[in-house]
Amino acid sequence: MLRALSRCHDPVVRLLAPRNTVLIETVRGRKSRTDPKAKSKLDRIKTPPPVDPVEMVVLKERFTEYNLILRALRLEFKEQVLRKKYEDEVGSAAEERTKKEAEEHRSLMAWNDAENLRLRQIREQRVQKETEAAELKRREAILLRQQELEDYIKEKERQILQLQEEAKDFITMDNLDERIEEALDNPKNYNFAIDKEGRVVKRTAIQ
Amino acid sequence: MPMKGRFPIRRTLEYLQKGEIVFKKSVKIMTVNYNTHGDLSEGARKFVFFNIPQIQYKNPWVQIMMFKNMTPSPFVRFYLDDGEQVLVDVEGKHHKEITHHVKKILGKTDQVLEAEALAKMELSNPANFGHKKYFLRECMSEVEGQVPHPGLVPLPKEMTGKYRAKMAATSDE
Repeated sequence: MLRALSRCHDPVVRLLAPRNTVLIETVRGRKSRTDPKAKSKLDRIKTPPPVDPVEMVVLKERFTEYNLILRALRLEFKEQVLRKKYEDEVGSAAEERTKKEAEEHRSLMAWNDAENLRLRQIREQRVQKETEAAELKRREAILLRQQELEDYIKEKERQILQLQEEAKDFITMDNLDERIEEALDNPKNYNFAIDKEGRVVKRTAIQ
Repeated sequence: MPMKGRFPIRRTLEYLQKGEIVFKKSVKIMTVNYNTHGDLSEGARKFVFFNIPQIQYKNPWVQIMMFKNMTPSPFVRFYLDDGEQVLVDVEGKHHKEITHHVKKILGKTDQVLEAEALAKMELSNPANFGHKKYFLRECMSEVEGQVPHPGLVPLPKEMTGKYRAKMAATSDE
Protein backbone atom coordinates (compact mmCIF):
# COMPACT_ATOMS: atom_id res chain seq x y z
CA MET A 1 0.00 0.00 0.00
CA LEU A 2 2.59 2.46 0.99
CA ARG A 3 4.94 2.74 -1.88
CA ALA A 4 8.62 3.35 -1.57
CA LEU A 5 9.78 6.82 -0.93
CA SER A 6 10.25 8.89 -4.01
CA ARG A 7 12.04 11.91 -2.85
CA CYS A 8 12.69 14.37 -5.56
CA HIS A 9 14.37 17.46 -4.28
CA ASP A 10 13.44 19.83 -7.06
CA PRO A 11 13.82 23.41 -5.95
CA VAL A 12 10.40 24.97 -5.70
CA VAL A 13 10.05 28.31 -7.43
CA ARG A 14 7.13 30.33 -6.18
CA LEU A 15 6.63 33.01 -8.75
CA LEU A 16 4.07 34.96 -6.77
CA ALA A 17 5.86 34.90 -3.44
CA PRO A 18 7.98 37.89 -2.42
CA ARG A 19 11.76 37.52 -2.76
CA ASN A 20 12.64 37.48 0.92
CA THR A 21 10.51 34.49 2.01
CA VAL A 22 11.98 31.10 2.65
CA LEU A 23 11.33 28.46 0.01
CA ILE A 24 10.05 25.24 1.50
CA GLU A 25 10.71 22.09 -0.44
CA THR A 26 7.73 19.75 -0.85
CA VAL A 27 8.88 16.36 0.30
CA ARG A 28 6.39 13.51 0.44
CA GLY A 29 7.72 11.78 3.54
CA ARG A 30 6.72 8.17 4.22
CA LYS A 31 3.49 7.96 2.21
CA SER A 32 3.13 8.25 -1.58
CA ARG A 33 0.47 10.20 -3.54
CA THR A 34 -2.14 7.46 -3.66
CA ASP A 35 -2.07 6.52 0.04
CA PRO A 36 -5.27 7.51 1.89
CA LYS A 37 -5.43 9.83 4.89
CA ALA A 38 -4.98 8.18 8.30
CA LYS A 39 -8.25 7.25 10.09
CA SER A 40 -7.34 9.26 13.17
CA LYS A 41 -6.74 12.32 11.05
CA LEU A 42 -9.87 12.22 8.86
CA ASP A 43 -11.75 14.86 10.90
CA ARG A 44 -8.74 17.03 11.55
CA ILE A 45 -8.97 20.59 10.34
CA LYS A 46 -5.53 22.13 10.16
CA THR A 47 -5.59 25.74 11.24
CA PRO A 48 -2.53 27.99 11.15
CA PRO A 49 -1.40 29.45 14.46
CA PRO A 50 -3.31 32.62 15.44
CA VAL A 51 -1.58 35.89 14.67
CA ASP A 52 -1.86 38.96 16.84
CA PRO A 53 -2.01 41.90 14.41
CA VAL A 54 -0.44 44.41 16.79
CA GLU A 55 2.39 42.06 17.59
CA MET A 56 2.69 41.32 13.87
CA VAL A 57 3.09 44.96 12.98
CA VAL A 58 5.67 45.55 15.69
CA LEU A 59 7.62 42.45 14.74
CA LYS A 60 7.54 43.33 11.06
CA GLU A 61 8.94 46.77 11.76
CA ARG A 62 11.68 45.37 13.97
CA PHE A 63 12.59 42.72 11.46
CA THR A 64 12.79 45.14 8.56
CA GLU A 65 15.04 47.40 10.60
CA TYR A 66 17.21 44.48 11.69
CA ASN A 67 17.54 43.13 8.17
CA LEU A 68 18.34 46.56 6.87
CA ILE A 69 21.16 47.01 9.34
CA LEU A 70 22.59 43.55 8.78
CA ARG A 71 22.45 43.84 5.03
CA ALA A 72 24.14 47.24 5.20
CA LEU A 73 26.91 45.83 7.37
CA ARG A 74 27.44 42.88 5.06
CA LEU A 75 27.67 45.06 1.99
CA GLU A 76 29.98 47.43 3.84
CA PHE A 77 32.39 44.65 4.66
CA LYS A 78 32.24 43.27 1.14
CA GLU A 79 33.05 46.67 -0.23
CA GLN A 80 35.97 47.00 2.16
CA VAL A 81 37.45 43.73 1.01
CA LEU A 82 37.04 44.62 -2.65
CA ARG A 83 38.53 48.03 -2.12
CA LYS A 84 41.53 46.54 -0.38
CA LYS A 85 42.02 44.09 -3.24
CA TYR A 86 41.73 46.89 -5.78
CA GLU A 87 44.22 49.02 -3.86
CA ASP A 88 46.68 46.18 -3.78
CA GLU A 89 46.52 45.65 -7.52
CA VAL A 90 45.80 49.08 -8.99
CA GLY A 91 46.72 51.61 -6.34
CA SER A 92 49.24 54.40 -5.96
CA ALA A 93 51.46 52.21 -3.79
CA ALA A 94 51.13 49.31 -6.21
CA GLU A 95 52.56 51.29 -9.13
CA GLU A 96 55.58 52.33 -7.11
CA ARG A 97 56.02 48.79 -6.00
CA THR A 98 55.95 47.47 -9.55
CA LYS A 99 58.41 50.16 -10.63
CA LYS A 100 60.75 49.28 -7.79
CA GLU A 101 60.49 45.58 -8.61
CA ALA A 102 61.26 46.27 -12.26
CA GLU A 103 64.30 48.31 -11.19
CA GLU A 104 65.54 45.53 -8.96
CA HIS A 105 64.97 43.01 -11.70
CA ARG A 106 67.00 45.05 -14.14
CA SER A 107 69.88 45.45 -11.71
CA LEU A 108 69.86 41.72 -10.95
CA MET A 109 69.87 40.92 -14.66
CA ALA A 110 72.83 43.28 -15.12
CA TRP A 111 74.68 41.53 -12.33
CA ASN A 112 73.89 38.18 -13.94
CA ASP A 113 75.20 39.42 -17.28
CA ALA A 114 78.42 40.56 -15.61
CA GLU A 115 78.83 37.09 -14.10
CA ASN A 116 78.24 35.48 -17.46
CA LEU A 117 80.82 37.75 -19.06
CA ARG A 118 83.37 36.89 -16.43
CA LEU A 119 82.81 33.17 -16.92
CA ARG A 120 82.91 33.62 -20.67
CA GLN A 121 86.33 35.23 -20.50
CA ILE A 122 87.65 32.45 -18.29
CA ARG A 123 86.23 29.91 -20.70
CA GLU A 124 87.73 31.61 -23.73
CA GLN A 125 91.16 31.65 -22.11
CA ARG A 126 90.85 28.00 -21.25
CA VAL A 127 89.74 27.08 -24.75
CA GLN A 128 92.61 29.10 -26.21
CA LYS A 129 95.12 27.29 -24.01
CA GLU A 130 93.65 23.96 -25.00
CA THR A 131 93.87 24.72 -28.72
CA GLU A 132 97.46 25.87 -28.34
CA ALA A 133 98.39 22.72 -26.47
CA ALA A 134 96.68 20.60 -29.11
CA GLU A 135 98.50 22.47 -31.89
CA LEU A 136 101.83 21.93 -30.16
CA LYS A 137 101.16 18.26 -29.73
CA ARG A 138 100.18 17.92 -33.37
CA ARG A 139 103.37 19.58 -34.56
CA GLU A 140 105.47 17.41 -32.30
CA ALA A 141 103.75 14.31 -33.57
CA ILE A 142 104.48 15.33 -37.14
CA LEU A 143 108.13 15.94 -36.32
CA LEU A 144 108.39 12.60 -34.59
CA ARG A 145 106.90 10.78 -37.52
CA GLN A 146 109.24 12.53 -39.91
CA GLN A 147 112.18 11.62 -37.72
CA GLU A 148 111.10 8.00 -37.61
CA LEU A 149 110.75 7.91 -41.37
CA GLU A 150 114.26 9.27 -41.85
CA ASP A 151 115.70 6.81 -39.37
CA TYR A 152 113.98 3.97 -41.15
CA ILE A 153 115.34 5.06 -44.51
CA LYS A 154 118.84 5.39 -43.09
CA GLU A 155 118.67 1.96 -41.55
CA LYS A 156 117.56 0.43 -44.83
CA GLU A 157 120.36 2.17 -46.72
CA ARG A 158 122.88 0.88 -44.24
CA GLN A 159 121.59 -2.64 -44.67
CA ILE A 160 121.78 -2.32 -48.44
CA LEU A 161 125.39 -1.14 -48.31
CA GLN A 162 126.31 -3.96 -45.97
CA LEU A 163 124.72 -6.45 -48.34
CA GLN A 164 126.64 -4.97 -51.23
CA GLU A 165 129.82 -5.40 -49.28
CA GLU A 166 129.00 -9.02 -48.53
CA ALA A 167 128.01 -9.62 -52.14
CA LYS A 168 131.67 -9.30 -53.14
CA ASP A 169 132.46 -12.49 -51.19
CA PHE A 170 129.53 -14.53 -52.52
CA ILE A 171 130.13 -17.85 -54.16
CA THR A 172 128.84 -17.68 -57.76
CA MET A 173 129.03 -20.12 -60.64
CA ASP A 174 132.22 -18.44 -61.88
CA ASN A 175 134.39 -18.86 -58.82
CA LEU A 176 132.79 -22.08 -57.63
CA ASP A 177 135.74 -24.29 -58.50
CA GLU A 178 138.31 -21.94 -57.01
CA ARG A 179 136.34 -21.67 -53.79
CA ILE A 180 135.98 -25.44 -53.51
CA GLU A 181 139.73 -25.81 -53.96
CA GLU A 182 140.31 -23.15 -51.41
CA ALA A 183 137.99 -24.76 -48.88
CA LEU A 184 139.57 -28.18 -49.30
CA ASP A 185 143.01 -26.70 -48.90
CA ASN A 186 142.26 -24.91 -45.62
CA PRO A 187 140.38 -27.17 -43.29
CA LYS A 188 138.75 -25.13 -40.53
CA ASN A 189 138.65 -26.50 -37.01
CA TYR A 190 135.52 -25.45 -35.13
CA ASN A 191 136.34 -27.37 -31.93
CA PHE A 192 137.24 -25.62 -28.73
CA ALA A 193 137.73 -26.49 -25.09
CA ILE A 194 136.41 -24.70 -22.01
CA ASP A 195 137.11 -25.25 -18.34
CA LYS A 196 135.13 -24.42 -15.27
CA GLU A 197 136.67 -20.98 -14.90
CA GLY A 198 135.38 -20.05 -18.33
CA ARG A 199 138.72 -20.01 -20.13
CA VAL A 200 138.22 -20.83 -23.79
CA VAL A 201 140.87 -22.69 -25.75
CA LYS A 202 140.46 -22.47 -29.53
CA ARG A 203 143.56 -24.30 -30.62
CA THR A 204 142.91 -27.98 -30.18
CA ALA A 205 144.10 -31.17 -31.83
CA ILE A 206 142.80 -31.65 -35.36
CA GLN A 207 140.68 -34.75 -35.81
CA MET B 1 61.57 -1.70 1.01
CA PRO B 2 61.20 1.94 2.14
CA MET B 3 64.50 3.26 0.71
CA LYS B 4 64.72 3.65 -3.06
CA GLY B 5 67.60 5.07 -5.08
CA ARG B 6 71.09 6.23 -4.30
CA PHE B 7 70.32 9.11 -1.94
CA PRO B 8 66.84 8.36 -0.61
CA ILE B 9 67.05 11.40 1.64
CA ARG B 10 66.11 13.42 -1.42
CA ARG B 11 62.66 11.90 -1.20
CA THR B 12 61.96 12.90 2.41
CA LEU B 13 59.54 15.71 3.15
CA GLU B 14 61.98 17.31 5.58
CA TYR B 15 64.65 17.61 2.90
CA LEU B 16 62.22 18.97 0.35
CA GLN B 17 60.78 21.56 2.67
CA LYS B 18 64.27 22.85 3.39
CA GLY B 19 64.52 24.10 -0.19
CA GLU B 20 65.51 27.77 -0.29
CA ILE B 21 64.47 28.85 -3.75
CA VAL B 22 60.91 30.11 -4.22
CA PHE B 23 60.66 31.72 -7.65
CA LYS B 24 58.97 35.03 -8.38
CA LYS B 25 55.57 34.91 -10.01
CA SER B 26 56.97 35.81 -13.42
CA VAL B 27 59.15 32.68 -13.80
CA LYS B 28 57.31 30.02 -15.76
CA ILE B 29 59.84 27.60 -17.23
CA MET B 30 63.29 26.50 -16.13
CA THR B 31 65.67 24.58 -18.40
CA VAL B 32 68.96 22.98 -17.40
CA ASN B 33 71.49 21.91 -20.04
CA TYR B 34 74.34 19.81 -18.72
CA ASN B 35 76.72 16.98 -19.64
CA THR B 36 76.96 13.57 -18.08
CA HIS B 37 80.78 13.48 -18.21
CA GLY B 38 83.43 16.07 -17.64
CA ASP B 39 84.76 18.07 -14.70
CA LEU B 40 83.16 21.35 -15.69
CA SER B 41 79.64 19.92 -15.56
CA GLU B 42 80.16 18.40 -12.11
CA GLY B 43 78.51 21.27 -10.28
CA ALA B 44 75.58 21.27 -12.67
CA ARG B 45 75.12 17.54 -12.27
CA LYS B 46 75.08 17.83 -8.49
CA PHE B 47 72.65 20.74 -8.77
CA VAL B 48 70.28 18.63 -10.85
CA PHE B 49 70.65 15.66 -8.55
CA PHE B 50 70.24 17.40 -5.19
CA ASN B 51 68.58 20.76 -5.64
CA ILE B 52 66.07 20.34 -8.45
CA PRO B 53 63.68 18.21 -6.32
CA GLN B 54 63.67 20.95 -3.69
CA ILE B 55 62.96 23.61 -6.27
CA GLN B 56 60.14 21.67 -7.89
CA TYR B 57 58.58 20.99 -4.49
CA LYS B 58 58.56 24.66 -3.61
CA ASN B 59 57.41 25.75 -7.09
CA PRO B 60 54.92 23.16 -8.29
CA TRP B 61 53.68 25.39 -11.14
CA VAL B 62 57.09 25.96 -12.75
CA GLN B 63 57.96 23.59 -15.59
CA ILE B 64 61.50 22.25 -15.23
CA MET B 65 63.23 20.43 -18.07
CA MET B 66 66.63 18.76 -18.22
CA PHE B 67 68.72 18.31 -21.37
CA LYS B 68 71.79 16.10 -21.42
CA ASN B 69 74.85 16.27 -23.69
CA MET B 70 73.52 18.85 -26.08
CA THR B 71 76.08 21.61 -25.64
CA PRO B 72 79.77 21.59 -24.67
CA SER B 73 79.23 23.79 -21.61
CA PRO B 74 76.44 23.66 -19.02
CA PHE B 75 73.91 26.44 -18.44
CA VAL B 76 70.53 27.18 -16.92
CA ARG B 77 67.86 29.15 -18.77
CA PHE B 78 64.71 30.73 -17.36
CA TYR B 79 61.70 31.78 -19.43
CA LEU B 80 59.65 34.56 -17.83
CA ASP B 81 56.05 35.33 -18.62
CA ASP B 82 56.82 38.55 -20.52
CA GLY B 83 58.94 36.57 -22.99
CA GLU B 84 62.27 37.47 -21.40
CA GLN B 85 64.88 34.71 -21.27
CA VAL B 86 67.49 34.72 -18.52
CA LEU B 87 70.68 32.76 -19.20
CA VAL B 88 72.89 31.65 -16.33
CA ASP B 89 76.31 30.13 -17.10
CA VAL B 90 77.20 27.42 -14.57
CA GLU B 91 80.42 26.06 -16.02
CA GLY B 92 82.83 25.00 -13.32
CA LYS B 93 80.66 26.27 -10.45
CA HIS B 94 79.87 24.37 -7.27
CA HIS B 95 76.22 23.38 -6.87
CA LYS B 96 75.82 25.54 -3.79
CA GLU B 97 77.12 28.55 -5.70
CA ILE B 98 74.60 27.86 -8.43
CA THR B 99 71.77 27.75 -5.88
CA HIS B 100 72.82 31.05 -4.33
CA HIS B 101 73.16 32.68 -7.72
CA VAL B 102 69.73 31.55 -8.89
CA LYS B 103 68.14 32.54 -5.61
CA LYS B 104 69.67 35.99 -5.85
CA ILE B 105 68.49 36.79 -9.35
CA LEU B 106 65.08 35.15 -9.55
CA GLY B 107 64.08 33.95 -6.10
CA LYS B 108 61.81 35.68 -3.60
CA THR B 109 63.83 37.30 -0.85
CA ASP B 110 63.55 36.10 2.74
CA GLN B 111 61.75 39.30 3.64
CA VAL B 112 59.06 38.74 1.06
CA LEU B 113 58.66 35.11 2.10
CA GLU B 114 58.20 36.10 5.72
CA ALA B 115 55.64 38.74 4.82
CA GLU B 116 53.71 36.18 2.78
CA ALA B 117 53.79 33.64 5.61
CA LEU B 118 52.51 36.33 7.99
CA ALA B 119 49.67 37.27 5.65
CA LYS B 120 48.71 33.63 5.31
CA MET B 121 48.63 33.24 9.07
CA GLU B 122 46.31 36.23 9.38
CA LEU B 123 43.67 34.51 7.27
CA SER B 124 43.13 31.71 9.79
CA ASN B 125 42.75 33.03 13.32
CA PRO B 126 43.13 30.15 15.82
CA ALA B 127 40.78 31.93 18.22
CA ASN B 128 37.81 31.43 15.91
CA PHE B 129 35.22 28.72 16.46
CA GLY B 130 33.51 26.84 13.64
CA HIS B 131 33.39 23.71 11.50
CA LYS B 132 36.11 21.18 12.20
CA LYS B 133 37.37 21.46 8.63
CA TYR B 134 38.38 25.10 8.93
CA PHE B 135 38.78 25.87 12.63
CA LEU B 136 40.31 24.21 15.65
CA ARG B 137 37.20 24.01 17.83
CA GLU B 138 33.48 24.05 17.34
CA CYS B 139 32.27 24.65 20.87
CA MET B 140 33.75 25.96 24.10
CA SER B 141 33.04 22.61 25.71
CA GLU B 142 35.86 21.12 23.60
CA VAL B 143 38.48 23.27 25.38
CA GLU B 144 40.31 21.71 28.31
CA GLY B 145 39.31 23.15 31.65
CA GLN B 146 35.88 24.28 30.49
CA VAL B 147 32.53 22.75 31.34
CA PRO B 148 32.21 19.59 29.21
CA HIS B 149 29.28 18.93 26.89
CA PRO B 150 26.31 17.63 28.94
CA GLY B 151 25.69 15.03 26.22
CA LEU B 152 28.99 13.33 27.10
CA VAL B 153 29.30 14.08 30.82
CA PRO B 154 26.14 14.87 32.90
CA LEU B 155 26.21 18.29 34.52
CA PRO B 156 26.36 18.52 38.30
CA LYS B 157 22.90 18.99 39.77
CA GLU B 158 23.48 22.57 40.82
CA MET B 159 24.05 23.70 37.22
CA THR B 160 20.92 22.17 35.67
CA GLY B 161 18.08 24.48 34.82
CA LYS B 162 15.34 22.42 36.43
CA TYR B 163 17.14 22.19 39.77
CA ARG B 164 17.70 25.93 39.86
CA ALA B 165 14.09 26.54 38.94
CA LYS B 166 13.00 24.22 41.75
CA MET B 167 15.31 25.98 44.22
CA ALA B 168 14.01 29.35 43.13
CA ALA B 169 10.42 28.15 43.50
CA THR B 170 11.01 26.66 47.00
CA SER B 171 12.97 29.75 48.18
CA ASP B 172 10.16 32.02 46.97
CA GLU B 173 7.64 30.11 49.00
